[in-house]
Amino acid sequence: MFGSKVKIDKALLEKATRYAEIAGYSTVEEFVNHALEKEIVQLEGADSEEEIKKRLKGLGYIS
Amino acid sequence: MEFLRRLFAGDPPGVDKSVVVVSGLPRSGTSMLMSMISAGGLEEVVDGVRQADDDNPRGYHELEAVKDLDKNGDTAWLDDAHGKVVKIISFLLQHLPATHHYKIVFVRRSLQEVLASQQKMLDRRGASGGDAADAEMARVFAAHLSKVERQLAARKNCEVLYVEHRAAVTQPAAVAERVNAFLGGSLDVEKMSGVVDSQLYRNRAGQDAGSGAT
Repeated sequence: MFGSKVKIDKALLEKATRYAEIAGYSTVEEFVNHALEKEIVQLEGADSEEEIKKRLKGLGYIS
Repeated sequence: MEFLRRLFAGDPPGVDKSVVVVSGLPRSGTSMLMSMISAGGLEEVVDGVRQADDDNPRGYHELEAVKDLDKNGDTAWLDDAHGKVVKIISFLLQHLPATHHYKIVFVRRSLQEVLASQQKMLDRRGASGGDAADAEMARVFAAHLSKVERQLAARKNCEVLYVEHRAAVTQPAAVAERVNAFLGGSLDVEKMSGVVDSQLYRNRAGQDAGSGAT
């Protein structure tokens, strides 16, 4: 609630607000936080994720 | 009134308003924890598609739909999973939607034991698990676990209890007590600890026999 502010393009914010509601998030902040977390996770794990996926597929834990 | 008390106290939702998740690396003891929690009285969210085999003689306790979490698969099943327990490997936790509250029992096991058990399972399946050597996979999994822990700590809709696989096998009653307390205290602790079969704990670090409980 009292965290740092980030400027977002108005049209993007409107779109995010709309989709946050559709997706069932309680607030647009919650939706934006989750989206950013997912994106950062992808960037952080870009190099090793493939190895994990190969292993999990071989073991039958992901399709 | 209970809802209002929790709301103003900032308490997390109870088990009946949460999805209970057993997580960890594949072959870390997740099936054993599923068995414990199920024996304790919580219903499992499973479909029985993956049958018991030599690697998991007591079954996998899995739901196939979980395996599509990373492909934006249908997550409607979560709506019916409140107050129940489902197994989701650690890699897929990041894809859990923020629209539910999760109580996660996360099983940790020696990476050496995990890798040994995974290799036996890959051999039995005649499958490839990639080209990385054990040392590289250990590094990759260690980084992965560290990342998952950070992510879970940052997510307001996730509560986590970390459980050591070895403790679950050697001190099942104590672990059952901890899990029960985490899940609200209504489980049958005696039945929980009663399902642990130390005979399945065969991939202890430094030993080379059979496969370990997953």
